[in-house]
Amino acid sequence: MIELFGVSKHFANETAVDGISLQIKRGELCVLVGTSGCGKSTTLRMINRLIEHDAGEIHLDGQPVRSFNEVALRRRIGYVIQSTGLFPHWTVARNIGLVPRLLKWPKAQISERVEALMQLLGLPLAEFADKYPHQLSGGQAQRVGVARALAADPDILLMDEPFAALDPLTRQGLQREMIELHARLNKTIVFVTHDMDEALTLADRLVVMDQGRIVQQGTPVELLREPATPFVESLLGGLDRGLKEAALIQVKERMLPFGPRLLASERIAETAPLSQALSVMLWHQVERLTVVDAEDIPVGELSLRRLLGVTAA
Amino acid sequence: MVKPLQGPNWVLLSLILLGVVAWLWLPVISLAPNRIVPGTPYTAFAVSEGGLFLALTSMLTMLMLGVAWLAWRATRKETWLALGTVGVLLALLPLWLAAAAAELAEPDLPQARITLGAAFWLLWFVLLLALIELRTRLGLSRPMGWLLLLPMMACWGLALWLWLEPLALLREYQARSEQFADALIIHLALVGAAVAASLILAIVGVLAMRRCSGLQRPGFAMLNFLQTIPSLALFGLLLAPLAWLGSQVAWLGALGVSGIGWAPAFLALLGYSLLPMVRNLHVALGAVDPAVIEAARGMGMSRRQVLLQARLPLALPVVVEGLRITTIQAIGLTAVAALIGAGGLGTFIFQGLGQAAMDMVLLGALPIIVLALVTDALFGTLSEWLRPGGEL
Repeated sequence: MIELFGVSKHFANETAVDGISLQIKRGELCVLVGTSGCGKSTTLRMINRLIEHDAGEIHLDGQPVRSFNEVALRRRIGYVIQSTGLFPHWTVARNIGLVPRLLKWPKAQISERVEALMQLLGLPLAEFADKYPHQLSGGQAQRVGVARALAADPDILLMDEPFAALDPLTRQGLQREMIELHARLNKTIVFVTHDMDEALTLADRLVVMDQGRIVQQGTPVELLREPATPFVESLLGGLDRGLKEAALIQVKERMLPFGPRLLASERIAETAPLSQALSVMLWHQVERLTVVDAEDIPVGELSLRRLLGVTAA
Repeated sequence: MVKPLQGPNWVLLSLILLGVVAWLWLPVISLAPNRIVPGTPYTAFAVSEGGLFLALTSMLTMLMLGVAWLAWRATRKETWLALGTVGVLLALLPLWLAAAAAELAEPDLPQARITLGAAFWLLWFVLLLALIELRTRLGLSRPMGWLLLLPMMACWGLALWLWLEPLALLREYQARSEQFADALIIHLALVGAAVAASLILAIVGVLAMRRCSGLQRPGFAMLNFLQTIPSLALFGLLLAPLAWLGSQVAWLGALGVSGIGWAPAFLALLGYSLLPMVRNLHVALGAVDPAVIEAARGMGMSRRQVLLQARLPLALPVVVEGLRITTIQAIGLTAVAALIGAGGLGTFIFQGLGQAAMDMVLLGALPIIVLALVTDALFGTLSEWLRPGGEL
């Protein structure tokens, strides 16, 4: 658990973070979102003490971060940055094994761990272990960055706009993998981004920041439904909010399990978001879709009325 | 990185044609009866009427024209052939010289000396340039280039050892072989000591500058100022204080510290070496990608670990580059140090100038050039190899 109590940070004569309080529960994926310069990165970097806070307290599992040795503290916390910061003179395997080596794990254990992580992140050992960072694509490099952060199995992962420099397709792929990883590993993740779609996709809880303060926090749906200020509303896409919300709801939540009716001609996967279902309807100009499972077997039906949430009952 | 090979290779063509012109119309060697009298110049075909010798000379000419033709065609295969031919030409030159020496030898003039003429130097230079041009065009690595020079060096060794006794340069060397060895050792020792000391001082200085940025301006200002003093003037400036030190402090005097000799030479070399060394080290450490440092700290590396495992290895290629520049500069400057009695290869240059014996000047100058080239090659290769993912 990470707790911030009235934390502030000033640079020269500028206030970067202004008395914020925040609680991030164990296993939560908390996304700090806001425009550039809003203090989200500074907040993140104060947690692993790359930046020291001026006022307030930051606690890690009930202990102030200042009570830890800063180097030991950082080895317990995974850290991923946008430009990856991989060591260009080290191979992929060596980069991933960095923290375990700092912690003086036995050699065999390190290589075992590196192997496991490369597998976890879809980097075939034979192909990538001995490559250098400059031989990797952006997406591959960031996978290595994530693997490196996970190497010593930290409870907490700090991610500072890790996917911002990637092309949209790669970014979406990595976002999906992040969600799976988070579900599987149950780490506490603090994720900083300026991309609201990314924030909505990933977040268990969203924290919107502006000018060093927290403007609003809550689940993505809560924020979409009740934005606290016009700023949050515009950040969430104004009139596009309906589509953004629809992107968060899976088809199977709204579908009607199969009754004795004719199959509709167009199909949609049960795990697809409602926004996609709406798009299919718009495209084919139909009001009914057949919902199929992963094996392409029809399992239900989605009508426009149900999609809109106008329940017959 | 290999350029598509199309159209005539104009660089090679002009180089080789320049070589041919020099070979045919400029004096290749000259023969002098003794050390002081100016010699009689000979162009390549004027050396002798002997059939065998003429055949050899014609063969070299044909090979050069062959290279010109290959340069005109310049497909990939022809470029390789040209590279081979240039290599053969370089290897044949000393053998031709040996043959020419044999042709010109006269039993009643045992002291006769053969001096290399303008054409010989020009041709040699042009062929080396051609070799470099072809090596880069074919995308061969540096060490491959050095490998190509091996046959040439072997032939030079063979020729010098067996047949080239009348070569003036060799005569000069044989008259002073012990002196030469001493001078070479002193030269290398001075350069090595100055560069090593400047490296250590630069490391200390740069680390201090990084800790406390207020030192940067005055530090660089001082080094810049030092660099602007002409070398001879600096030797002069050091004369008085060092003479005084040597006479006042007994153990310094016993070490040989005085106004002239190795002490002022070493100090001046050290002074000149500091600026390039400090500047390169400073730039190198500062130029490391900040993201890497950020990540290194974020992963939980201590200050020391960041410096030793990330900053230093990443800066090393640039540091080696600085070492290269500094060493080459010091090799040249040490020649001047001969003027204040520090010894070294410069001794021959200044003695030779005094006696108007150009071959003696060359005895000093040629090894200095060779030393500089070898240093350049060694450090250049090292720096390339140290780059991330770099291979030899």
